[in-house]
Amino acid sequence: MADVRAFRVPAPRGGVRLRGVTKTYGTGDARLNALDGVDLDIEPGELVVVLGPSGSGKTTLLNVIGGIECPDGGELTVAGTTLTGRAPRELVAFRRDRVGFVFQFFNLVPTLTARENVEVIVELTGRGQRAEVPGLLEQVGLADRMDHFPAQLSGGQQQRVSIARALATDPDLLLADEPTGALDVATGKTVLNLLQEANRQGRGVLMVTHNASIASMAHRVITMRDGRVQSMERNAEPADAAAVSW
Amino acid sequence: MHRILLTKTRRDLRRRLPQFAAVAVTVMVGVVLFISSYEAYQNLRASYDRTYARLHFADVTATGGDPRQVAAAARHMSGVSAVSSRTQGDLPLRIGGDKLLGRVVGLPAGAQPAVDRVDVTSGRYLDPGDPTGVLVESHAAKTFALSPGDRLRAFDGSAWRTVTVRGIVDSAEYLWPARSRQDSLDDPHSFAVIFAPEATARSLAGPGATSQTLVRFTDDARGSATTKRAADLRKAGAVDVTPRSEQASVATLKEDLTGFQQLGLTFPLLFLAAAAVAAYVLITRLVLSERKVIATFLAAGAPRRLVVRHYLSHGTLAGTAGAVAGLVLGTLSTDAVTRAYTSALKVPDTVIEHRWPVAVAGLVFGLLVGLAGGIAPALAASREAPAEAMRGDGGTLKPPGPWSRTVARAHGLPVVARLTLRELTRSRRRTLATMTGTVLSLVLVLASVGMITSMRSLVSVQYGTVQQEDATITADIHASGLESSLRKVPGVARVEPVTTVAVIVSAHGRSYGTSLTGYRQDTVMHGFLTPGGGTTNLPARGVLAGRAIASRLDVRVGDTVTVASPGGVSRQARLAGLLDEPIGTSVYATDATTHALTGAGVNSYQLRFDRSLPEHARDDARATISTMHGVVAYTDAKALQSQFDKYLGLFWLFAGAMLVLGAILALTVIYVTMTVNVAERTGELATLRAAGVPLRRIAGILATENLTATLLAVPVGLVAGAAAAWEALESFSSDMFHMELTLDWGTLASAVVAVLAASLLSQIPAIRMVRGLDIARVVRERAQ
Repeated sequence: MADVRAFRVPAPRGGVRLRGVTKTYGTGDARLNALDGVDLDIEPGELVVVLGPSGSGKTTLLNVIGGIECPDGGELTVAGTTLTGRAPRELVAFRRDRVGFVFQFFNLVPTLTARENVEVIVELTGRGQRAEVPGLLEQVGLADRMDHFPAQLSGGQQQRVSIARALATDPDLLLADEPTGALDVATGKTVLNLLQEANRQGRGVLMVTHNASIASMAHRVITMRDGRVQSMERNAEPADAAAVSW
Repeated sequence: MHRILLTKTRRDLRRRLPQFAAVAVTVMVGVVLFISSYEAYQNLRASYDRTYARLHFADVTATGGDPRQVAAAARHMSGVSAVSSRTQGDLPLRIGGDKLLGRVVGLPAGAQPAVDRVDVTSGRYLDPGDPTGVLVESHAAKTFALSPGDRLRAFDGSAWRTVTVRGIVDSAEYLWPARSRQDSLDDPHSFAVIFAPEATARSLAGPGATSQTLVRFTDDARGSATTKRAADLRKAGAVDVTPRSEQASVATLKEDLTGFQQLGLTFPLLFLAAAAVAAYVLITRLVLSERKVIATFLAAGAPRRLVVRHYLSHGTLAGTAGAVAGLVLGTLSTDAVTRAYTSALKVPDTVIEHRWPVAVAGLVFGLLVGLAGGIAPALAASREAPAEAMRGDGGTLKPPGPWSRTVARAHGLPVVARLTLRELTRSRRRTLATMTGTVLSLVLVLASVGMITSMRSLVSVQYGTVQQEDATITADIHASGLESSLRKVPGVARVEPVTTVAVIVSAHGRSYGTSLTGYRQDTVMHGFLTPGGGTTNLPARGVLAGRAIASRLDVRVGDTVTVASPGGVSRQARLAGLLDEPIGTSVYATDATTHALTGAGVNSYQLRFDRSLPEHARDDARATISTMHGVVAYTDAKALQSQFDKYLGLFWLFAGAMLVLGAILALTVIYVTMTVNVAERTGELATLRAAGVPLRRIAGILATENLTATLLAVPVGLVAGAAAAWEALESFSSDMFHMELTLDWGTLASAVVAVLAASLLSQIPAIRMVRGLDIARVVRERAQ
């Protein structure tokens, strides 16, 4: 695998600031406060892992920061962009220019090859360079799998394509929702390594997971419960992704 | 069906209400078309039959010979209920300022005849004490605003004789006022029928009179031993024997009924097929999304037939709901359609019945749509291997096929273009459904519009290439100097003498009543088109005849036929060639041959106006000519063409309706496939949205994919549509009409634009679905 650190000059970016952010689902008895007045600061270039049980609000936090859900209240600034009160069209532009997503279930287009799955985002958003796509795939270790279709790739390889896809627009902040949830340990570690490499390039990385073992690779670990930040811990010496095990 | 499963089915239908509603609406349109047109077709037939029965319409009309001998022979046949004889003759009429061709039919004064009665709708029947009193057939009475007490004049061959209208009548023979099988679509101003006391009719018709023997059979005997009866009547001296089905009015109306029957069966089938395709796509999608649920059922020991029944119920419920709605609307509209039709055609009797087998068939169609659409996915669901299905989407990613691999090598193409090309084979079922919708709608549109454009072409060929005259002047054969007088009329460019005789052509024991027209050998008034697409000239000897004569008389070019004219002259002629003429099956020869065959001399003139002559000047010329001495009738070819155009105007409305229905049909199928497309790809589309891809770009991708599938189907649809239109035209082909399929580029382009517009319209709900995607939720779920 190529040395990602040599690929870009590290420059911290992708800071996040939340003040009193709320998000509620449902009404009446079914009302659920997914985010209940969350205050949070993530420094540019920080790798943050969000832990918490199901229903604690961690995915909602990630979606709100990523601009795919709007908060009901509070103030939110991501990578220098204030998201509060933005129109849907402006949120689309924000996502295109500032953030990249990595999902648990990859969501690749099955009729496109690995290379095309990345290129299609470049083509459709107008961000990034098509010529850089092979390099990105090389970085994620898929130089010899570029022209394979998703059906011809393993789960870990598919997730690596989705990381390359997320990086193709050169986002300030990478948001990963259970990126290892569908993978075995060895493959999961490869994916974590890629996310750490992306962070070492200066990008902010916010990773949501059930897996507490992953927390050791983060600069900071946030634990959520009932829509609130329950605790926040800083790792003095973040572990190398290769050393993480579960 | 288990109550819980029924509840699930109900909720499934509610969750996909717009799509299942689209299926139900398509079934409804199909069933409405079926019920209303098929019932109307049956009602029209029953209405005609009632009129025929009430007016004792002849089953067989024998022409020529000694009427007493022919009638005696008829009475000796088994199953005969009534026989009568009469005189009929064609003669010029003068009604107001119009001189036209007419027909006088003899009736017994004082009492209705045993066969071919008339229905007096105004005034009174003929009176023995009033020999100049006549009855006027209702179409002519309406055209010329005639009522009892009015007068008109009839030309008896030497002088105009005045007769008085005593009554207006409907006649079973003239429900459609066709002069002959060759002139079934006359200008109403160029033909009128009057009924006169037998003696008066004989006197008015003069030497052109023909005797007719009318035979009516008992209900039991009707329709059997037709050939033998015709042979017996011929043996008794009849020159021609025409069964009821061959009679000009009946045959013309039958063509119309054929159209209705086609409309009642073929068009509904298109809609029902489209609904079945949409149901198939929808239920297949449902089954795919519920693989795990099905696997759970099966793993829990649910019988496979239960699963089959459950998924069949979705289609059958939607189909049956559409069919019930269609049955109600169809039944209601049947009355209106039947009444509108009998009123427009002035059919004296209107029979409106609702036949339970038709209603049952309508409901069964709806049920069949559901079964046809649901059976394949339902069976597939029942065959799910529980363990595999429980693994989730592990098996949904299929290895790329050769097409995908080929397109993947096209690095020069934008990725979106490659995506579009590959999506075509990603879900062949969806692509084929989109294509099927396109093909079905093109068939619907082209089959209906093709009929009209072909009719327009028929008129254009008949009145532009075949009949090249602007008007035909029927002359008093005793008048002299008419040709030179006609030439002097301002605006008249050319005049040719013509001899026209009603004849009966026979060979091999078969006969065919038609007209023989004698032209100059170098005539410019008539074009003689050959079946091969070329033209020919009149032969110096022998006759040319419309190509239907070959099958009618079982003759070939070079054979000898017998030509009998009303005066009793019978001569043999060589069939020198066959012609391909759109309307009628006529016989042509040089004026010399015509004279030799019939003894008739010039009895009419055909003329052409200057091409630059304005319409009003033509009217002036017509007025001038009509008042000239020796002119007994004036037939305007252009009026005939205008009449056609008027009929076609109504047909265009029908075509417009079919264009709209075709677009709806395409819209339904494509709408369902589009929404299923989006539903199957929510994960991908939501990921694109999450990555900041604007909605318009995603709309563009979907539109391109959809339009590509639609466009791929267009050539198939155009060919299938043209084939369907050709098939429809063939069913109308007879000795009365021969239509060549004509589909101009404008028509084809309109049809294609209609389906493309439908395809684009179907984007709207799909884009709404994409816009409404809950990105946050979708991207966390495995694709279903």
